Amino acid sequence: MRRAAVDESKFSILEDNRMAQHQISWAQGSQVKAHFEIPSMHCASCIWLLDQLHKFDPGIISSDVDFLRKTVYVEFDATLTSLKSIALLLSSLGYEPLLNAERGDGSGVAPRRSAVRSLYMRIGVAGFAAGNIMMFSISQYLAGSGGLLPPLELLFNSLSILLSIPVLVYSASPWFTSAYSALSRRYINLDVPVALGISVLFVRSIVDITLGLGEGFLDSFAGLVLALLIGRLFHQKAFDAVSFDRTFRSFFPLSVRLESRGEQRIIPIDDVQTGDSILIRNGEIVPCDSVLISPAAYIDYSFVTGESTPVELLSGSVVHAGGKVVGKTARLTATAPASQSHLASLWERYGKHTERRSYTDLSDKFGARFTVIAVTIASIGFVAWLPDVGAALNVFTAVLIIACPCALTIATPVTLGTAMGALGRNKIFIKNTGTLLELSKSDTIVFDKTGTLTEPLNTITFTGRDLTEIEWSSIRGIASHSIHPVAQSIALGAPPAEVDSVYEEIGHGIEGRCNTHYVRLGTRQFVICDGEVDDSTHVSIDGEYVGSLTLHSRLRDGMHEMVDELQRVPSNRPLLTLVATGDSERDRPVLSALFGSHQMSFRLSPEDKVHSVEELQKLGRTVMMVGDGLNDAAAMGCANVSVAVTNDTSTLVPACDVVMPARLLHRLPAILRFAGRMITVIKVNLIFTIAYNMIGIALALVGLLTPVLTAIMMPVSSLVVVGLSVGGARLYSRRIQ
Amino acid sequence: MSVVPLLVICSILVAGGFLVAFLWAVGRGQYDDLYTPATKMILDDRGTEQNDNNDNK
Repeated sequence: MRRAAVDESKFSILEDNRMAQHQISWAQGSQVKAHFEIPSMHCASCIWLLDQLHKFDPGIISSDVDFLRKTVYVEFDATLTSLKSIALLLSSLGYEPLLNAERGDGSGVAPRRSAVRSLYMRIGVAGFAAGNIMMFSISQYLAGSGGLLPPLELLFNSLSILLSIPVLVYSASPWFTSAYSALSRRYINLDVPVALGISVLFVRSIVDITLGLGEGFLDSFAGLVLALLIGRLFHQKAFDAVSFDRTFRSFFPLSVRLESRGEQRIIPIDDVQTGDSILIRNGEIVPCDSVLISPAAYIDYSFVTGESTPVELLSGSVVHAGGKVVGKTARLTATAPASQSHLASLWERYGKHTERRSYTDLSDKFGARFTVIAVTIASIGFVAWLPDVGAALNVFTAVLIIACPCALTIATPVTLGTAMGALGRNKIFIKNTGTLLELSKSDTIVFDKTGTLTEPLNTITFTGRDLTEIEWSSIRGIASHSIHPVAQSIALGAPPAEVDSVYEEIGHGIEGRCNTHYVRLGTRQFVICDGEVDDSTHVSIDGEYVGSLTLHSRLRDGMHEMVDELQRVPSNRPLLTLVATGDSERDRPVLSALFGSHQMSFRLSPEDKVHSVEELQKLGRTVMMVGDGLNDAAAMGCANVSVAVTNDTSTLVPACDVVMPARLLHRLPAILRFAGRMITVIKVNLIFTIAYNMIGIALALVGLLTPVLTAIMMPVSSLVVVGLSVGGARLYSRRIQ
Repeated sequence: MSVVPLLVICSILVAGGFLVAFLWAVGRGQYDDLYTPATKMILDDRGTEQNDNNDNK
């Protein structure tokens, strides 16, 4: 098996005990159980391979895969192997684990697992009770006018009550806790009317049964709680598959290579002191403000400024925290102590996040109104039936029972769960229903350029005389010896070539002999020396000037169609598409085919991006930000809805509402349409529930709501709503493919 | 009809047994992951390295 080269330092942090604790779930003697989250797990072969870890490392006793949560559980012998070497093994197999310490909050897999467990237990208890109570109730309903024999009725009633107590106390407890905590904060959420309905249902049934007034509603009660729990299970499952809690902290280094007295060791970055000599390797982020000791280095400040072309620094220059080293390892002296919090503040200073309307807020507001209306109608009914207190109480409770917005509580998670499942099969992940709402409302789309609209890799165009195959390979061979990013792009994929007398003048160019040709490659000054300056890279072979190379970004496939298609998405007003990039204007020609000149802005820092999003919002627009990197993170946090595109599922993405693979970006219009339709489905459900409840309330007010009728009405409304949700989501999701 | 109460109680006891079995299974983690075990079934068994080697010959 081919193993990928792994950057060992990244996992050295696991040697630190504090950090290791985040991964370990259980340890006794030398036997340790640990878990790793592996974002890149994607197919059955992954399961097969990760199941066989013991074949690669004899210290591993067993490994167990949880595919849906993308986690592998490993049991190992600490005397034979270590957390770090397991992490390295996983990475070398192509499954780089996401360390828990990289998360901002430390929420892991374990709490999600136990949440699902208790949900299943609640469902088990409620299902058991509902099934048995229904058997007793049906025999009572069918017994006719004479009723059951008194001893049988007594037995059935007492068993029903006995069975319904665990449903009330255990299965329905989530709604009571939620309603209680909302009420104690003096506010009403959607769980309040649900909890009210459930408790009235229970109390009324007990009173009816003990006083011999009727059969009670215990069958409806248990069935209702069961349906509510199943709705919640849908919800939980949809959220289990993808975690959105990766913040920009995931981009930060956890440890740094410290050099002291000729020795290198790895320390947590919070331990770096002023004056320490640190080594930062290719692709690593500089953790603190420092001074460059190496002769030269290339620093990519795109995380901070948005410009993706690295800057060249010479020995003695100041390097700011947040820059990424490109090419050769840089040796630096720290001029300020490093800290995670300092790095975080680089991005958090514009961390003013827009308050997003989430669907929860909407349904909570709805819940508050609902409760008020239901209680009012019930009271009116009560007053109308006075002075007959018995009948008045009967009507009062019947209204509260039938008005319980349970169908609605079930409808939303089921719609969302089905929609998320449908999108998830296309590798598109959305965060919550609020996201659907904002997606369907957004009328302005701001795109980042590099990595979003364009491919991350540059294409090279050559202008000049035709070159032979040998000459090309000579150019590539020489270019591969430079650490300059442009040269690296030119050399990309070149086979190793024999070169000699290579000389590089940092920042100007490189020359050397390869395949009998003598190549000079570099700036206009370095190659031609005619006193002029331009952006291209020039080439001469054996003293003869042959032409120049220019780097271009290449648009992803289907971008033209996507921009056209976006105009045809039904929305309140014409959709505005904009480009906001931190790069220089060199790609203006590529983009001008898609966007008018007033729609593009260049050289924007992350802060500028935030400002432009805010300006748009001040104009009353609902802004959607599409981006891929940390330099977009702040703007994405401030936009109404944010979409992160990734090139593969293992790359870290900024905090966002939607994650989608970059190659599916041209599907964006279809996703917007889908979101709009899902909101319609939810609205239809809402209207249906209200209409259905009106009928129910009317029946309750005239005192016609009998236990049999309730037992039929409640499940029918839930089933219709669930059918509408699942059917709608399934039907429309086919059109995305 | 006097047999009905007896039957009802028996049936509840049997159903209760299944409920306990279900709760036990959930507690033991049987319902934690409903996808992976189904896939594992179609993969080769563990500890068949020898067979693998024979196949490769």
